[in-house]
Amino acid sequence: MATEVIPRRPTLLLIVVLSLLFVLMSLSSRTAYIGQTRTLFERTVMTVFSPVPKAVNWVGGSVDDMYHGYLDMRRAVNENLELKRKIATTTAENLKLRQSESDLRRLRSLLGYSEQFNMNTSLAQAIMLDTSGRFKSVIIDRGSAAGVEVNDAVVNANGLIGRVILTTNDLAKVQLVTDNNCSVGALTERSRRQGVVRGDGAGGAQMHDVGALADVLPGDRVLTAGIDGVYPKGIPIGVITRAAQGANLFKQITVKPTVDFSSIEEVIIIHTRKIPEPVVRYTP
Amino acid sequence: MRWLRFIVGLLIALTLHSLLDSFFPNALAFFNPYVILVVYYSMGGNVFGAIIAGVVAGLVQDSFSGAIFGLHAFSMTVCAYIVAYVNSRLELRGTLAFGACLGGAVIVNELVIYILVNILLKQRIEMFEQGLLVKTIFTLLFGMLVYHLLTLFLREEPIEATKRPAGW
Repeated sequence: MATEVIPRRPTLLLIVVLSLLFVLMSLSSRTAYIGQTRTLFERTVMTVFSPVPKAVNWVGGSVDDMYHGYLDMRRAVNENLELKRKIATTTAENLKLRQSESDLRRLRSLLGYSEQFNMNTSLAQAIMLDTSGRFKSVIIDRGSAAGVEVNDAVVNANGLIGRVILTTNDLAKVQLVTDNNCSVGALTERSRRQGVVRGDGAGGAQMHDVGALADVLPGDRVLTAGIDGVYPKGIPIGVITRAAQGANLFKQITVKPTVDFSSIEEVIIIHTRKIPEPVVRYTP
Repeated sequence: MRWLRFIVGLLIALTLHSLLDSFFPNALAFFNPYVILVVYYSMGGNVFGAIIAGVVAGLVQDSFSGAIFGLHAFSMTVCAYIVAYVNSRLELRGTLAFGACLGGAVIVNELVIYILVNILLKQRIEMFEQGLLVKTIFTLLFGMLVYHLLTLFLREEPIEATKRPAGW
């Protein structure tokens, strides 16, 4: 009977339901915290439907994680590319700086070295190097316009390179001490024995005219003697690597130049005071 | 079968509710999926079923929102009753009719809530008119779209389309 009445009296049902809900609301509104789960009824409804928000939360969290993971990955990839680009740029800059530092160090040593001479000096850059043939020479980028003259001595921080044998307006050719036709008045640093150093045409040099009894040993440093009218005194030429007894009255001495001729870059030109021709040729 | 469909609809509404809460907090201030479900169900014209649907949907919404427990159930029941009663008399069909019912239901729902909050909590809802306008527009647009898609692709008529006597 009741099941037939209730559907036919929905207004009555509405009134009953609304009354019950009003009572429920009144009870709820008296509690201290509105959002808190208070009643058994509310707890039951929440429990029944709680899997839905949980599932949504889980799915949302997973999607969010995936999305942010993807974004992070993209960001990391972009960052990686950017960093690689920066590394390439920095490496190039680093190489340039190293090069500059090396140049600076070399130029400083050259400068310091050139200051010990009382004569005028000027800096030049080696622009062509020919050490392969028998005639060893190097072309520098300073010529007569810069005051370079034939027989000017050419050195670097390591020692003697050679002398100027030809000049143009803006270039000069330098004969290396290892050239077969180059002779330098020399002396040993330790025992002060004098001789003449000549290039052997093969990258080394020989010291001639040193007496068989002279105190000359391997390891002795050889300097310019300053007696040939070309090279100032005291420029390192090389180190004696061999000092053997010769077939005649002189020793056979091999000298290893202190300059590495394969890596000449900047050089110092020493404008030596030239001995006038009449003085050279004068014979009493 | 009709209750099963209602439960599915309720779960979808709750899912939407949870999603909106997760990603767009306070989104339910501008949009109410439960009203759409209740109106859709009540369009069938079964007043008894509509009252039950209103109570259930409202209680679920109350459980997962911070309002007084029973507030939405109360307002939703009133809406469901009115829509079902009107449809039991007029047999409204079509998207526009649904829109009209939905718009009216949203307004009634909000007004009932406003009055109850005033009575029970002695509080005024801030910016009620603006909120009502925005909520009506968004709920209406979304509800009509859903209704249109349901009738277009699923050839779905409102749940409990077979009219039953109102029983006055």
